[in-house]
Amino acid sequence: MSISYDDIGDNLRRIVISGRLDVPGTDSVAAKLGELIAAPKKGVVVDLSTLQFLASIGIRALITSAKAVQQRGGKMVLVVDGGSSVLMSLEATGVDQLIPVFRSAADAERAAVA
Amino acid sequence: MPKGQRSPDRLAGTERSALSGFDELTIGASGAEARRASEWLDTTCRQRNVPQALVERLALCLHEVLANVIAHGGGTALSAPIRLLLEVRLEQDCSKASVTVSDAGIAFNPLLVPKRVLPKTLSEASAGGLGLVMIRRCSDWLDYRHEDGRNHLTFGTRWNLR
Repeated sequence: MSISYDDIGDNLRRIVISGRLDVPGTDSVAAKLGELIAAPKKGVVVDLSTLQFLASIGIRALITSAKAVQQRGGKMVLVVDGGSSVLMSLEATGVDQLIPVFRSAADAERAAVA
Repeated sequence: MPKGQRSPDRLAGTERSALSGFDELTIGASGAEARRASEWLDTTCRQRNVPQALVERLALCLHEVLANVIAHGGGTALSAPIRLLLEVRLEQDCSKASVTVSDAGIAFNPLLVPKRVLPKTLSEASAGGLGLVMIRRCSDWLDYRHEDGRNHLTFGTRWNLR
């Protein structure tokens, strides 16, 4: 399980989460995700393209993060691999309709700061 | 088709019969044990030629059921073993794979929980209660009974070999 980030200019932060967002995986990164989301950036891209598994506890962490960004006037978007079970989890819960999902990192970055 | 898996429609009747059957696993109630159960399910389903896309659906359901037992099952659920039963039936017309989770926690019938209306905006979204939504959307059927002081929840998927 890993979480990392890089800042692209003054307005955009990209957070990459790899591994499994199941119960133990989410427990291990939730605090760090909250900390990274709290930075005053206009746009946040959460890159899940190398994530292998997304359970509801992980989705909960993503919803909480997206709301926090929205409340400060920013926007959080996701990057997901098209054929993955991660996309299936987002679609099954309808969360792909609440947090914008992109296949391409470049498209996600443009959308996050638009 | 993952390496080592045969295209299901190429399986002869005797092979389908040999790949059909039951597997069992007993685990403790913890996140680490839920992860071990996922790995077991993945390996066992591959050995029994269950299509990978369906294995992923079953794995999500299994994780959500176990997470619910761990979070809401109470002290008995945490101290007693959880039993898992995988049943695979490969048939030419309709194949099935199902998992039964048996736990000693507080009786809980998810079939009695009203279906949730999904929010339309992020502001309306509640962070909780998504596990059951996921179980319902990722399984083709759900069965529940409470017997001998244990919950027995079965979820499954079906597919056509043709």
